[in-house]
Amino acid sequence: MSHRNPPAHRMKIRMDEAEALVHALRTHQVDAIVGERHIMVVRLKQAEEQLEHSRDELRALAANLQFLRESERTAIARELHDEFGQTLTSLQLGLSWIAQRVTPQQRSVQAKARSLSTLVTTMVQSVKRIAVELRPGVLDELGLVKTLQSLAREFEGHTGIRCRFETNLGKAKFDRVGSVALFRITQAALTNVARHAQASTATIALMKHGDDLMLSVKDDGKGITKKTIQNHNSLGIIGMRERAIALDGTLTLRGLKGKGTTLTIRIPLIRIL
Amino acid sequence: MINASKRAGNGAAVAGGKAYAFRLFVAGNESNSTQARGNLTQLCEEYLKGRYHIDIVDVLKDPAIALKHSVLLTPMLVMLKPRLGVSVLGNLGDTKKVIATLRLIGGER
Repeated sequence: MSHRNPPAHRMKIRMDEAEALVHALRTHQVDAIVGERHIMVVRLKQAEEQLEHSRDELRALAANLQFLRESERTAIARELHDEFGQTLTSLQLGLSWIAQRVTPQQRSVQAKARSLSTLVTTMVQSVKRIAVELRPGVLDELGLVKTLQSLAREFEGHTGIRCRFETNLGKAKFDRVGSVALFRITQAALTNVARHAQASTATIALMKHGDDLMLSVKDDGKGITKKTIQNHNSLGIIGMRERAIALDGTLTLRGLKGKGTTLTIRIPLIRIL
Repeated sequence: MINASKRAGNGAAVAGGKAYAFRLFVAGNESNSTQARGNLTQLCEEYLKGRYHIDIVDVLKDPAIALKHSVLLTPMLVMLKPRLGVSVLGNLGDTKKVIATLRLIGGER
């Protein structure tokens, strides 16, 4: 028996050595590993620090880009609404004026003026729609809850997919940056439902859960695959995740084949109040 | 075989203590190796002034000697005198631990 087990003091030395080795590795105190044929220089700490630094830079850049994008969207929406919208309205009034003043002999002119007026009315509606899509005024005026309610209604109207909105928040008010981020995430999630899910119903839920705010978008479609979730080219998912991370939050996506997909965003309430 | 060496004083034991000899295996100028060099020199100057000898072995230049001494990771400090076989892995930044392992204070100082 004794020849199989090393003496206790030898075991202790081996344990000490093992502990020292683990400690050195954990605290990144190893520079090189010497092998039979080569030496591997390890720069774990340096590489980890550089990687984390690069990640931080990328996140800051992404957050800044999102901010710039929202600012530009707001400016374009304002210009569209104020300048283009008003000019079109003036044009419409002018065409109506012409249509009312042409003589009975000028019926073709009257018909043309009315047809142009109808066209301008369609254009005014399009401009309003585009301006709202760029920057939903309701988000600034009525807040996130009402905007998501409205988004659910519009989504159902456009796609025919039944869309419900649930919340336990009442009249909670969130800060502007957080509201825009959650709105854009919901918009992107619904776009994915319309494009890929083949769903017949969708549910948006905005819930207070302890110290966190949880936003989920759930559908009953074909279910997202793991491959799609992990795909580095899924820019929509990456964009949503970056928005969540910028608010110290997390994004999880779960798909069940034939049962649907659930996207969940969890954000500390303190970050958006 | 040995790429650099440092000898303090006359290199032999001086009055008041035993002579110490170390071999420090490093990987070029990598961060921990550079720190280990500096920390070892500082310790020796503080506790063994005039009675220590350090051989620096750069494994990037001479891996064979590392393998010969079963040194598979760097930086690794190996004591040659007065007690052969005592070794410390890492950048020697934990001064207390290094002193205790090498027994630089106490009976052998």
